[in-house]
Amino acid sequence: MEYKYVGKSYIRPDAISKVTGKAVYLDDIRLPGMLHAAVLRPQYAHAKILSIDTSEAEKCPGVVKVVTGKGCKFHYGDNIRDLVPMADEKVHYIGEPVAAVVADTPKHAKDALSKIQVSYDPLPVYIDARQAMSEDAVIIHEDMDQYWTLPTLKVVPGTNIANVYQVRKGRAADGFDEAEVVLEGEFNYPFGSCAAIEPHGSIVWFKEDKTIEVWSSSICPFIVRDDLANSYGVPASDVRVHIPDIGGCFGYKSDITVEQTIAWIASFVPGRPVKWVSSREEDFTSTLIGHGIRTQMKIGAKRDGKLVALQVKVLHSSGAYADTGVNVTMAATHNSTGPYEFDHCELTGYTVYTNTTPVGAFRGYGHQEVHLAIERMMDMLARKLKMDPFALRSKNYLHEGSVNALGEHMWKFNGDVAAAASRVQEVVFGHDKPKEDDTYFYGRGFAAVMKSPKGAPFSTKGCYMKMNTDGSVNINMGGAEVGQGLRTVVRQIAAEALKIAPEKVRVYTELDTQFSPYEWQTIGSMFTMQGGRAIVRAADKMIAVLKNTAAQVLKTDADYLEYDGEYVYLKADPYIKVAVTELARGYITEDGITIGDLAQAVSDARLPRYAAPDKNGQGPLGVTYTFGAQGAEIRIEKKTGKILVDHFASVFDVGQVINPLQIRGSVLGGVNIGIGAALYEEVIFDENGKITNPQYFQYHVPTYKEMPKQTIEFLETPDPIGAFGARGIGEHSVVGPAPAILNAIYDATGVDFCEIPVTPEKMKKALEALKEYA
Amino acid sequence: MAEKIAFTINGQPRSVEVEPDMMLIDVIRDVLDLTGTKHGCDNATCGTCMVILNGRAVKSCNTVITKAAGAEITTVEGLAKGMELHPVQTAIAESGAVQCGFCTPGIVIELVAMLDSKPNASEQELANALNKHLCRCTGYEPIRDGALIAQKVVQERATAKA
Repeated sequence: MEYKYVGKSYIRPDAISKVTGKAVYLDDIRLPGMLHAAVLRPQYAHAKILSIDTSEAEKCPGVVKVVTGKGCKFHYGDNIRDLVPMADEKVHYIGEPVAAVVADTPKHAKDALSKIQVSYDPLPVYIDARQAMSEDAVIIHEDMDQYWTLPTLKVVPGTNIANVYQVRKGRAADGFDEAEVVLEGEFNYPFGSCAAIEPHGSIVWFKEDKTIEVWSSSICPFIVRDDLANSYGVPASDVRVHIPDIGGCFGYKSDITVEQTIAWIASFVPGRPVKWVSSREEDFTSTLIGHGIRTQMKIGAKRDGKLVALQVKVLHSSGAYADTGVNVTMAATHNSTGPYEFDHCELTGYTVYTNTTPVGAFRGYGHQEVHLAIERMMDMLARKLKMDPFALRSKNYLHEGSVNALGEHMWKFNGDVAAAASRVQEVVFGHDKPKEDDTYFYGRGFAAVMKSPKGAPFSTKGCYMKMNTDGSVNINMGGAEVGQGLRTVVRQIAAEALKIAPEKVRVYTELDTQFSPYEWQTIGSMFTMQGGRAIVRAADKMIAVLKNTAAQVLKTDADYLEYDGEYVYLKADPYIKVAVTELARGYITEDGITIGDLAQAVSDARLPRYAAPDKNGQGPLGVTYTFGAQGAEIRIEKKTGKILVDHFASVFDVGQVINPLQIRGSVLGGVNIGIGAALYEEVIFDENGKITNPQYFQYHVPTYKEMPKQTIEFLETPDPIGAFGARGIGEHSVVGPAPAILNAIYDATGVDFCEIPVTPEKMKKALEALKEYA
Repeated sequence: MAEKIAFTINGQPRSVEVEPDMMLIDVIRDVLDLTGTKHGCDNATCGTCMVILNGRAVKSCNTVITKAAGAEITTVEGLAKGMELHPVQTAIAESGAVQCGFCTPGIVIELVAMLDSKPNASEQELANALNKHLCRCTGYEPIRDGALIAQKVVQERATAKA
C-alpha cells in the first residue's frame, strides 16, 4: 500500500552524532568520583574454590577495595534463578568472576589482580551436552532442584539437564509407520560470539540515600532495574538504569549479563560509582556466547514427497548457567520443522549445563541452528526421493490453513513462503551455473526460512507522546537502539500516524528507567511490529485529545471533526477549523481561559494472542510468523579449499517495508553474520574449558573483502497486527545462510557437511578424501 | 616517570604529562576526553581507534604516546568545521553506512586520510584500507557506497578549486 512517509528512505536521527564521534557509549561516560573495577577469572573451568587470599592485592597502589563472592546470599535469573554475581565455593566456567579489584584507575585495578591468590580443587570439565548427560557425569549445579524456575520448566534433578522441553503433535510413531521413506541426520551449530564491536560494560553506583544508579550497555534496563531491586531489597523505583548508545548487540546484551556482577562489586564501595568495561577477551569468555546446538533429526515422508513425521532431539550445550539458554533451546526445538507442515511431530529439547560460557540470545535465537538441520535434510531427502528439491519443499510449505508444530493455524497474513522461494529460485538458479574449471568448483544452494514470534505474556512496549505548541512532537519509548534503526522506524510510523512530516517528530535518545515508558526488552525482531502498534495507539489517543479540545472551541461534537496534522476541522465544512498549534496545550480563549487538555498520550502494546502451552507444548505463541527464502552462489578454490560467496539472495515477506535503505542494511549485515557462522566463526573450547581464540585476530569476523554481492527483496503481505501492516525483520536474515551455503557446497563438490564452520582446512581435507575415494 | 609530551591535536597545541608507556588512545580518551575514538579490541584488529597522525591513519591503540611528540593529530572530533561536516561524514551518514556507529569514527578517519592523500584512490585501494576495519552491522556494502560518494565529492571540490 502507498503511504506518505512509511515505505520511504530517511536518514537515521542518530547518524550525525555517530559520524562526528559525539554519540555517547558506556565507556565514554565519566562520573565524579568514579572508581574502576577489574575482575579476576579462574584458571579452571570447573573447580572448588579452596581459599582466596586478597591481602597482597589490597596493598597495591590505587587499590580501594578487593571483593570476593564470599557471603553472597542470593541467586538471580529470569527463567531459572541459577546465577550468582560472583563465585563463592565453586567456579563453573572459565569466565566466571572469582574476585575483583576496585581502584582509582583501570590500570591500577588490573595490575593488582595478579596479586590475588586463589587455590582450587579441579573437577571434571564438560564442554559438550553429550558428555554432561552421560550417566557418571559430575553434577555441575548440586542445588539445582532448589532453584526457583518458571513454572513451565522441567528440571531433571540429579542430572545436568536444566530443562526438558517437549512438543508433541499427532503421534510420531504412527507417522513413521505411515512413512515410505525415512531419513536421519545429525547437525552441529557450534558456539559463536555476537562479537559486537563495542564490548560490554556497566557503571553501578550505590548511593548513601539507598538508591542505586546504573549505566549499562544493555537492551533491558527494566529487567536490570527489577533484578537489582529484588537482590538488594529496595523498591524498583529506587533503582535508576540508564542506557546510552549501544555499539551493537545481536543478542548478547539482552537479559541480565554483567550488571549483577558489577553491582556486587560496587556494593562494597557505597557512595562511589564503579565502572567496568570488558576487554575483548572477557567479552568472549565472560559475557554470553551463542548456539552450541546439536540437532538430531529424523524425517518420514511419502514417496511423492509429502512429509508425514518429524522426530527431533535438540542437545543444547547451554553453558554453566541455563537462565539465558533455556529459551534458546525451546525456540530451536519448536522451530525445527522449518517452514513445513508435518502431521506428526515429536520434538524434544534438552538444555544442558556444561562448563562453558553461558549461552544466550544470538540474532536468530535458535532458528539458525535448526534450520541448518531441516534445510540440509530437505535437500538430502529430495536426493533420496529423486525429486527436485524445490518441488519437495513447495509440496510441504506452511500456508494459509495449515497447522504448525505448536498446533497454531497459519493465516494468509503470516506471509508467502512459496512466493519468496520462487523469487530466490529465479535470481539464483535462473541462469546457468559456471562450469567447473582448473581453479574452482561452482555451486548453488537454497534455504527456506521460518521465523516464529517470541511468545512472552509480559512483553509490553510503552509509548509516551506529546505535541508542542509549534505542532512538533516528542516521542519517548523503552526500545533500545543497538544500531538496528528503531529510532528511524519510530519517527516514520509516528509521522504517518500523526500525518505530520518526520522532521517534526523528535525521537528519544538514551533510555532511563526514571523517564522511559516500560518495555520488557527489545528482542525477538518485535519492535517494528509491537512498538509500531504502541505508536499508532498513542497517536490515535492524542488525536482524540485534540479533537475533544477542538469540539469545545468549534462548539460541536468531536465525532463531527476530522484531523489532518495541521488542523482539526468540521468534516461537513472544512473551512470551520482550528490549528493544532492552538490546541496543543489546551485552547486559550479570548477571555484568557484555557479549555481542553494538553495534547499528550500514553499507550502500550502487548501480544494480541498468547495461550500457555499444554503438556504437549501445544498452544499459539502470539503475534505473527514471518517467512522468507535465501540462496547462495559460491565458488570453491580447489587448491586451498577456500569458499567464496559470490552472490547471496534474500527475499522475506515483511508485510510492509518501513524504510527501504534501512531494511536493506539490516539484511546485508545479517547475511554477513550468517556467512561468518557458516565459513569462519567458532568459539573454541579446549578440553580444559579454556577458550583458545578469544580475540578478533583469532575469531574471524567477516571483513570488507569477504562481502558478497547481495540481492535483497521484500514481499508485502500486510499484517493486521503491526503498524501499517509491517512485520519484523531483525533476525531473519541470519537464519538461511549456513544451510544455503552448505547445500551449495554439495552442489559444487558432492560433499555433505553437517557441521559449521566449513573452514578452508575442512573443505580441503574433504576434497582430498574425495580424490582418494575416486 | 611521567614525561611531558607536546603535539597538535585537531589544530590545537597541547602538552600533556603522561607515563611514556601509555598508548595514544589512552591519552586521547582519558587525558584529553576526546571519546569519539573508540576502543573495540586489545590488539589492533578492529580499527575503531584510528586517528590521523602526521597525515597517516594509524591505530592509536598500538601507537606509543612518545611517537606523538611534535606530531599533528586529527581525531574524528576534528573533522567538522562547526556545523559543516566533512564530505566523508556526510556521505557515510547518508549512504546507510551507520548502524550501531561504533566502528564509524575509525572508518571515517580512514577514508579522510585516504582521500586527503590520494583523492583518486582506486576501488582496490579503498578496499585495502577498509579491510582494516571490522563492522558487525552493515555487511560493508553501504560503507563502500559512502566511500565512493565521498570520493566523488572530494574530487569535485578539488576540481572546483583548481
